Amino acid sequence: MSTETLLTPSAPDTATWKPRLVAFVCNWCTYTGADLAGTSRTEYPANVRIVRLPCSGRIDPHFIIRAFEQGADGVLVSGCHPGDCHYTAGNYHARRKFMVLHALAEFLGIEPERLQFSWVSAAEGRKWADVVSDVVAGLLRVGPVQPTWGGAGELPVRSLSEPPRPVPEPLDVVGELRATAQRWLSDCRVDVFVGYGQGSLPGRLRPAFITSPDEVDQLVWNEHAVNNLATYLTRGLVKRHGRVGLLVKSCDARAVVGLLQERQIEREQVTLLGVPCIGVEVDGALAPKCHTCDSAWPALVDEVLSAEVPLTPVDGEGLAAEIAWVEKMSPAQRRAWWQAQFDRCLRCYACRAVCPLCYCSQCIADQSRPQWVSKSSDGRGNLAWNLVRAFHLAGRCVGCGECTRVCPSNIRLDLLNAKLAQVVRDEFGYVAGGDPDLPPPLTTYLLEDHEEFIR
Amino acid sequence: MSPTTYLADSAQAVLTAILAAGQRVVAPVEQAGLLAFAHVEQAEQAQLIGQTRASAKELAFPRTQRLFGYRFGNPGVELLPGEEPPAPTVLFGVRPCDAAGLAILDGVFGAEPADAPYLARRARITVVGLSCDQPQAHCACTAVGLSPTATDGSDLLLTPLAEGVLVEVLTARGAALVDLLGEALRPGAADKAEVTARAEAAMAPRALPAGLADGLAAAFGEAAWADAAARCLGCGTCAFVCPTCHCFDVVDESNLRGGQRLRVWDACQFGLFTLHASGHNPRADQAARYRQRALHKFSYYPRAHGRPMCVGCGRCVNACPAGMDIFEVAATAAAGQG
Amino acid sequence: MRTETYEPHLMTVAQVRDETADVRTLRLTFTDPALADSFAYRAGQFAFYSAFGEGESVFCIASSPTETGYVECSFKLTGKVTSALRRLSEGDVMGFRGPYGNSFPIDEMVGHNLVFIGGGIGMAPVRSILVNCLDRRSEFGDITILNGARSAADLVYRDQTDAWTARSDVRCVKTVDPGGDSEGWDGEVGLIPHVLERLAPTPHNTKVVLCGPPIMIKFSLISLEKMGFSGEQVITTLENRMKCGVGKCGRCNIGGAYVCCDGPVFTAAQIAALPQEF
Ligand SMILES: Cc1cc2nc3c(=O)[nH]c(=O)nc-3n(C[C@H](O)[C@H](O)[C@H](O)COP(=O)(O)OP(=O)(O)OC[C@H]3O[C@@H](n4cnc5c(N)ncnc54)[C@H](O)[C@@H]3O)c2cc1C
Ligand code: SF4
Ligand code: SF4
Ligand code: SF4
Ligand code: SF4
Ligand code: FES
Repeated sequence: MSTETLLTPSAPDTATWKPRLVAFVCNWCTYTGADLAGTSRTEYPANVRIVRLPCSGRIDPHFIIRAFEQGADGVLVSGCHPGDCHYTAGNYHARRKFMVLHALAEFLGIEPERLQFSWVSAAEGRKWADVVSDVVAGLLRVGPVQPTWGGAGELPVRSLSEPPRPVPEPLDVVGELRATAQRWLSDCRVDVFVGYGQGSLPGRLRPAFITSPDEVDQLVWNEHAVNNLATYLTRGLVKRHGRVGLLVKSCDARAVVGLLQERQIEREQVTLLGVPCIGVEVDGALAPKCHTCDSAWPALVDEVLSAEVPLTPVDGEGLAAEIAWVEKMSPAQRRAWWQAQFDRCLRCYACRAVCPLCYCSQCIADQSRPQWVSKSSDGRGNLAWNLVRAFHLAGRCVGCGECTRVCPSNIRLDLLNAKLAQVVRDEFGYVAGGDPDLPPPLTTYLLEDHEEFIR
Repeated sequence: MSPTTYLADSAQAVLTAILAAGQRVVAPVEQAGLLAFAHVEQAEQAQLIGQTRASAKELAFPRTQRLFGYRFGNPGVELLPGEEPPAPTVLFGVRPCDAAGLAILDGVFGAEPADAPYLARRARITVVGLSCDQPQAHCACTAVGLSPTATDGSDLLLTPLAEGVLVEVLTARGAALVDLLGEALRPGAADKAEVTARAEAAMAPRALPAGLADGLAAAFGEAAWADAAARCLGCGTCAFVCPTCHCFDVVDESNLRGGQRLRVWDACQFGLFTLHASGHNPRADQAARYRQRALHKFSYYPRAHGRPMCVGCGRCVNACPAGMDIFEVAATAAAGQG
Repeated sequence: MRTETYEPHLMTVAQVRDETADVRTLRLTFTDPALADSFAYRAGQFAFYSAFGEGESVFCIASSPTETGYVECSFKLTGKVTSALRRLSEGDVMGFRGPYGNSFPIDEMVGHNLVFIGGGIGMAPVRSILVNCLDRRSEFGDITILNGARSAADLVYRDQTDAWTARSDVRCVKTVDPGGDSEGWDGEVGLIPHVLERLAPTPHNTKVVLCGPPIMIKFSLISLEKMGFSGEQVITTLENRMKCGVGKCGRCNIGGAYVCCDGPVFTAAQIAALPQEF
């Protein structure tokens, strides 16, 4: 046996193949229900391996991703019916997580048959048997997970974004920007002012850290001010300098909201200078996020630079059009399309490094015990990494687009993020980066949250 | 004795002949809006203008490489072979900086004790270089002693001239390839000095100060590294796109039946890179990690090998999300010493 | 295709000994008898030890070249691989590749008085050269051994230390940090540098082997300097993180020096000349 067949799920012999179903179930309801099915000798397929957890709220999406990585053909997740959770609300929290995971899996073209959810009570031995039989029947229908995705024929090609739009002339705010920074520094209102300075390559700007009022002439502003400077707030800036003055566009300010909401910074540590912005340039055109940006004026700021802002009606579809385009593909095509994307991933983690909301001191992708995400940059590891990243940002990503801008392999992380933002908006009525006093959507729940996807 | 230079109609024509000779070819192609080295079957697939986003090193030093496998027996463990290197391949359209990058990697991996998995792949690669006639804004090969038409690391080097393309045969491996190409090449010579001069003139002036290696070593303890590295996010992009960076990690992936030991790219810009199990980290902050990058390239390596561990491709400058420029930082740090 | 650079030899775990609650010694024998005969190494060298399925870790070879037929390593439980290695029992198979690195300059040590100082798991590399020297006892002058640990329960090689103490031709002292002694402790109490100053070995014609945690090395070096030892007389080891052992993975360097190839054994003088980054 070669090493490939040991670890890479090879195309199984369809004649003898039996689906491998992993079921993550809660101890109190479903496990007892399954047990009842066993003791009352209700027949159901033997293809299922049951993993028992204290509560459906403990069923981490990583378990599911890992099960697929390890060769499961399908995963069934099951817990107590709403209202019956042994810990009161574990299943309500779980329901939100699974809603997002379900949508993500579907968007990636993973057949719905492979990822199923159910509520099975301790008394429902019969239901458990039926659910398992049904899920296994579904798996038999879709067949084994193919060793590499694909086989979808020629992949659809679409130009990357809406027709590129020109970038509007930047507003002239440089004078006031420098004056304000100078005032803040001289008045000792801040110990460092973070803005943009000239980069070393033509037409590039880069973050500038100004600590003395004499240096403010280094500050510039134009359509190349792409970096989301809020990222630096959790990268030792406060520790190194003390009070931070930060220049924010409206998209950047949303990230600051996220950090406040998640208690990563204190409001007093940062003084925000808002810059009215009518668009930045990425790859020679107006950045996709700017197509749908509805305000030139950043929220939450302490001061804001003045400018005549031309009224630009938001008429672009932005990423929504591309999401719709991806969703029009067949699941197999979608899978192949994403596979081609993820295959290019170098696992450089630049997406994580620039993300203002990726601030964990140890990322789950770097953990070795247990190792949730395989480190190899092959199909499995890359899929797991990209799933984990997208999922962790669900309901938190403010759509600044930085991850996509910096990905050296041009992977469409923005589409994943935007899709999950859509789900969170449509299902939970929540938009990240808006109100710092709202609880993040995946830390809360509503009794009436949808659950059509759960059996 | 056969001549060491030939002329051909165009680089495309040479590629067509190589493909016609039945060679497996990897060349720059356009993928998802960027240039990447990929397998080509027709000459038209190759995109011979511009620079690939990632370097050519991946063919010899892949992102993930199986060093060996194993199967659990009862009792005992059975070792299984490592990766089978890909079939012999012509790596076509490699820019002089990238080819020089391979030459540097050959030195690192070839030094005793040699790295067998690297050499196994490398032995099957013939490098057909392609001189640059349109340098990019971030190109800096002249700063590190190379040029847009440098031959280092290439087996054949193609230089586009007004009248066609000059083919320089630089190694026995290159000569063996030429033998397969028949009529597509005709013996002949031409002077590439003018092309070189024109390309160099089109480059943004970038230079490294004299005595850089010693200046940087002397600057090791400077507090200024913290300011220099303030922007750096520690993302590792610079190392991943660099043709000479070669740091790697070794990891196991396994299940109940067996597993494999893999080497995967790593980067000295990551905090975990040097973290000890005890929690002690010799390079505890980004300043120390960025300093390592700058000094490895422009001080430690040149002191041992007489050339920078940088081929001036400028990729790291271009790709850095935070606008870090290693040439600028190195020169400033060394100058602060004077 | 051969990828022998990173492919380990298969070894059988011949013996498992617990030194402390978290330090274990494994004795390994080659499954291939031909290799067992040809395998040679020098005291101070290190190797990579594989727990298949989990990865490999670097430990020094803690046995002495004079102890033939097997190699031993002593390791402290710290993480993924060390946990996996602890799950092995006698008769199990694991991987070993090595030896790598330079070694203690035993030839230069001949004719000198020797002081061996080990702190905690740092006693593992010390043990290799120490046993090597004891097995060639007549070639050296006075031998002083100082084995120190945080507490009595953390002292490694306890039986061997007692055996060395019993010998008349060496002076052997064990010590624990203040507060680390327990019921029945018959050694010294005090930090290694302090006990060292009390032992007051003469710098004249003496070489010191010093291994242990960075903080202990730092203060021991200060004490040694006070006592008149020069940097050339003190030999120590560095433990940077390593992945390849052959100067490729780029992880272990301190300035231009690669600990895996140019070390792990350095004199204090050599270390002082390196960039201070370890
Ligand atoms: C030359 C040398 C000799 C050593 N000798 C010994 C010894 O005799 N006894 C002993 O107990 N320890 C020794 N160490 C330290 C030992 O290698 C680490 O404690 C061990 O690798 C931790 O492995 P882990 O997988 O359990 O820990 P984890 O924290 O899970 O480590 C994960 C990865 O990090 C690597 N790693 C973590 N810390 C270190 C480190 N300090 N050095 C190198 N790699 C590291 C491991 O190899 C592993 O791949 C030595 C290190 C070196 C470099
Ligand atoms: S930035 Fe792109 S290539 Fe790098 S890890 Fe993220 S998705 Fe992968
Ligand atoms: S995931 Fe990407 S778009 Fe979202 S906040 Fe992070 S960097 Fe910005
Ligand atoms: S220099 Fe730039 S590319 Fe390199 S790690 Fe720092 S931020 Fe990333
Ligand atoms: S250091 Fe930068 S410029 Fe130099 S070879 Fe590497 S990527 Fe190219
Ligand atoms: S351990 Fe890899 S270079 Fe030293």
